[in-house]
Amino acid sequence: MITLDDVSKRYPNGTFALRDVDLRIDAGEFVFVVGSSGAGKSTLNRLLIREEMPSSGRVVVDGQDVARMKRSQVPHLRRKVGVVFQDFKLLQTKTVAQNIGFALVVTGHHPDVVREETDRALALVGLTPRRQHFPRELSGGEQQRTAIARALVSRPRILIADEPTGNLDPVTSWEIIKLFVRVNELGTTLLMATHNAEIVNALRRRVIHLDQGAIVRDEREGLYAA
Amino acid sequence: MMRVSYVAAAAWEGFWRNPVMSLASTFTVSLMLLLFAFFVVSDRGLQAAVGILESKVELAVYLDDNAKPSDILALKARLERDPATSSVLYVTKDEALRRLKEIAARRPDLAVEDVSGNPLQNSLEIKLANAQDSKRISASLRDEIGKGVVGDVIDNPSVVDKLLTITRVLSVGGVAILAMMLFVALFVIVNTIRIAVHARRDEIEIMKLVGATDWFVRWPFIVEGMLVGALGAFVALAAILAVAPAISAALVSFLDILPVSLGSNFIAELITFVFAFALLVGAGGATISVRTHLAR
Ligand SMILES: Nc1ncnc2c1ncn2[C@@H]1O[C@H](COP(=O)(O)OP(=O)(O)OP(=O)(O)O)[C@@H](O)[C@H]1O
Ligand SMILES: [Mg+2]
Repeated sequence: MITLDDVSKRYPNGTFALRDVDLRIDAGEFVFVVGSSGAGKSTLNRLLIREEMPSSGRVVVDGQDVARMKRSQVPHLRRKVGVVFQDFKLLQTKTVAQNIGFALVVTGHHPDVVREETDRALALVGLTPRRQHFPRELSGGEQQRTAIARALVSRPRILIADEPTGNLDPVTSWEIIKLFVRVNELGTTLLMATHNAEIVNALRRRVIHLDQGAIVRDEREGLYAA
Repeated sequence: MMRVSYVAAAAWEGFWRNPVMSLASTFTVSLMLLLFAFFVVSDRGLQAAVGILESKVELAVYLDDNAKPSDILALKARLERDPATSSVLYVTKDEALRRLKEIAARRPDLAVEDVSGNPLQNSLEIKLANAQDSKRISASLRDEIGKGVVGDVIDNPSVVDKLLTITRVLSVGGVAILAMMLFVALFVIVNTIRIAVHARRDEIEIMKLVGATDWFVRWPFIVEGMLVGALGAFVALAAILAVAPAISAALVSFLDILPVSLGSNFIAELITFVFAFALLVGAGGATISVRTHLAR
């Protein structure tokens, strides 16, 4: 589903965020990406949806070379990959429901579909009572759940979550993780960058450990720390 | 995949997000279109006037009293062969006098004194096919004055000359001014849309990250540009139609000898053209300003 061949990423300011990364993630896997702040987790996510281009190497998502694909193909790639951004990227002028439905509206879906799927996603993350609220009226955790709902609303084949529990209390965190497990069981490949050791250790899923842009550990049923 | 209702709503919202800017560019487009319509109408009117005058332009060649008939006929034949003439008529001095008396009979302020002799001359009246050639023909005929056949050459195409000069100046100046206005209108539209794009840059970023196509991002802005163009055209045409009757009345009373007809389809053509032009300018301006933003 996802293959990285000898991928390096050097930002224009000279920072090396990823170095010679080789990685293969099969369809249906649930993968934790761990590593200290600045290790390159978000950068890895950005390469997968071509938000950034690799400086060298090859990134293949669902059979397509991400860096070489035509510009017109990029939207189709991004529709297959739902992303929970670390900074949420919510629109302050839109309500919770509008933010969630946005992913469907701008990909040309019928208003009826948008309404139906938005309701489903709202219920999934437990935000139905907040649907008419604006992001600034929400707690950090509610904003995070809005971002999660927007990533899930289009039923993506791959879900990338960048620290989706960063602002959540333990109870809500577990609810979100249970939701992710369910989504994963329904066939969605899941990639989750996290600093939450408790969750990683409890789930015993595959763990990829990044350190200064390089993979230093990749374990089938790993723990947060080696 | 593109939902028309979405695009229309987004464009409308965009237009009113910054009403001062949008209305300013609408006004600029109106001005440009007004100028454009003014030039088209004047040009058409003058063309019509020139056409009418051209059909009337004549050169008169007064013939030497002593000219031999064979020389006169040769000159007539030579003039008739010239493609710039449409007809050459031989008018005898008797015929000329008869015409003069006829005119005098209809004009109480003129009286033909009883003349025993005939002071007039035989002449050739030349109708031209093309007013532009009158200079050349009259010049070549003037060269022959005093050589036995041609006594004098009278041409009076100065009105046509002036009209031709005016049309030429109008079309050159008009094109220059129009080009400038077009540039200004494009500039204003480009900036209006650029501001609209800038105001929505977060939205655009997220749209693209969740898989919207470039066209999905682009269309609302293009439609917004076209909205500016269409509203501008509407204002301009309303202004034109409001003053058109007064102007054409003034023209008719001023140029009553020139039944300047603009053609019955002309107004419909003008409206279509103004709208098409306005939509094109609006869409073009918007495309330019969105393109720089979508480059990434
Ligand atoms: N747009 C950018 N331009 C330049 N350097 C960047 C950019 N984004 C990230 N970096 C740098 O690249 C490195 C990796 O950043 P990245 O955001 O991938 O880390 P991370 O693992 O997600 O960290 P965190 O856990 O804090 O989110 C860091 O050193 C960071 O400073
Ligand atoms: Mg990060």
